[in-house]
Amino acid sequence: MNTDRQPLIQLEGIIKRYKNLTAVNGVNLAVYPGEKLVIIGPSGSGKSTLLRSMNFLEEIDAGVIRFEGREAGYVHRHGRLHLDRQQVVCPLRAEIGMVFQHFHLFPHMTVLGNVMEGPLTVQKKPVPEARAIAYDMLAKVGLSDKRDVFPATLSGGQKQRVAIARALAMRPKLMLFDEPTSALDPELVGEVFDTIHALADEGMTMIIVTHHMGFARELADRVIFMDGGVFVAEGTPQEIFDERMQNERIRTFLSRII
Amino acid sequence: MQKTFSRVATALLFLWMAAAVVFGAAADPDRLTRQANELMGQGDLAGAVEVLKQIPPPAGGGEGEAFVRSRLQIARLHFSLGEMDKALAAAREVLALYPDNSEAKNFVASVEQEGQPRYVTFLKDCIRFLPALAKGAVMTLLLVLCTIVISPIGGLLIALGRLSTFRPISAACWFVIWFFRGTPLLLQLFFIYYGLPSLGITLSPLTAAVIGLGVNYSAYLGEIIRGGIQSIEHGQMEAAKALGMTYGQAMRRVIIPQTYKRLMPPIGNEFIALIKDTALVSTIAMVELMRAADQLFNTYFNVTALVLAAIVYLVFTTVFTFIFEKIEYRAGIYEHR
Ligand SMILES: Nc1ncnc2c1ncn2[C@@H]1O[C@H](COP(=O)(O)OP(=O)(O)OP(=O)(O)O)[C@@H](O)[C@H]1O
Ligand SMILES: [Mg+2]
Repeated sequence: MNTDRQPLIQLEGIIKRYKNLTAVNGVNLAVYPGEKLVIIGPSGSGKSTLLRSMNFLEEIDAGVIRFEGREAGYVHRHGRLHLDRQQVVCPLRAEIGMVFQHFHLFPHMTVLGNVMEGPLTVQKKPVPEARAIAYDMLAKVGLSDKRDVFPATLSGGQKQRVAIARALAMRPKLMLFDEPTSALDPELVGEVFDTIHALADEGMTMIIVTHHMGFARELADRVIFMDGGVFVAEGTPQEIFDERMQNERIRTFLSRII
Repeated sequence: MQKTFSRVATALLFLWMAAAVVFGAAADPDRLTRQANELMGQGDLAGAVEVLKQIPPPAGGGEGEAFVRSRLQIARLHFSLGEMDKALAAAREVLALYPDNSEAKNFVASVEQEGQPRYVTFLKDCIRFLPALAKGAVMTLLLVLCTIVISPIGGLLIALGRLSTFRPISAACWFVIWFFRGTPLLLQLFFIYYGLPSLGITLSPLTAAVIGLGVNYSAYLGEIIRGGIQSIEHGQMEAAKALGMTYGQAMRRVIIPQTYKRLMPPIGNEFIALIKDTALVSTIAMVELMRAADQLFNTYFNVTALVLAAIVYLVFTTVFTFIFEKIEYRAGIYEHR
């Protein structure tokens, strides 16, 4: 691991509780530029919660998030952590792209409109520039011919590729994928994987939560197995999948899923 | 002592009443009018006519209001008894003294029409009533348009306020909705027009009507818009935030545009109701379509005015329904392709 470089994002002692349930229970993590990290784990283990807290969509109860070395997004008030003002948090989110399991495309905008929306509204770029970026991104995900249709007419795989293009149009430094293929029909999974793979080859830093172990093995520099809100095991794909870390919990999880 | 006093008082009162009867009997128009009204109340129309006839023409061409009113009333009574000639004669008695009396002229005109075919009278009535009704209809339209402009803005503010996490604002908006949806519009209009002056705020009927309708419909639309916003899937807000949008940007660009299609049918319903609710402002001295029709009806005893008003209302509601269907289709165009 490149310990000589500064992590792009670093988590220290992250805790997130829902009423009496602790979804994330003291997670430490450093992700370096260019790294591809895959998080696996059983349902309800806190993967989504962790990913969403990296994008400040969840307000954590304790811990520190550093983005590019600087403590980011929170203020201390009355001895508690609070998400900082929008003026602080929104620019941070703008640097982190997120792709959801259920796409969440904006149904009232065309495909092009979806992809232009970030540069236009958030980065306040002029329309021609935003359009040029959107054209590039749609070409990258192979959907140039779908520019002017509405999302309702797309297949699941196409929707997810548009969602990826929408996130990429912001030129993020980090991409978060939360089960990007779990809502897709099996025959559509491949095209989304290929898109993510191409992105990885370009050197994008990414954190991916997935249940597709083959994909995890192929793409990941590092795999983390999460259970009960904590990291149970961490290693290279070989260490996690082949040697199975001699860990009972991973073994049962993998045997159920593969 | 006490007893004597009350006896004297009673005697005086009695004397005064007797005097009133004796001396007033000659030709007190007020008393005669009351007596006639009493007879009319008992259904004795012919008797009422006889009493009213005792009201004399003004001596020396002076102020003859009582006389005019009595003769017009006689004319109407004859008219309802089917005695057209006598009715005309009574109205002409007025015209003989006051050739410009418009009520008498109208009466004569409408009685003379009786003989003509129905559609001719109807068309003549239409032409006669059109100017006044058109004026009223324009006012109704103005009220409707003002409210259609004001209430979605007010409604959106109330809806956003209700969704605010800042308690005082959401509580205030809750109160506005609770109050204005929970009390009759008529009462709100009365309060604004007749009640506010006692707090030193005097409003013209139009201002009061626009404020009343605007606030009332803002409250209704507020609840509808809030429901629309909350019906948008939570993931949309997440995706917008993940792009780096502020709450305001996400609302403006992502959430609210998606509510348009869903909101169009309920808001269309509200605006149809609004067209008819504008009739309520006739109670605060506004002459809009309903009031105009009512005035014509009362002047001419002619149902045509009401029929015409109904037609105008139907035209308004039909056109609005049509427009809203078009807008609804447009707003949801992304679902049709
Ligand atoms: N908004 C919420 N309110 C209450 N509990 C929640 C909320 N979101 C998540 N949780 C709980 O937190 C725990 C972790 O949820 P999370 O979604 O992070 O799991 P996950 O690992 O992503 O699971 P999956 O693989 O099913 O997506 C779960 O027990 C879940 O029920
Ligand atoms: Mg999840």
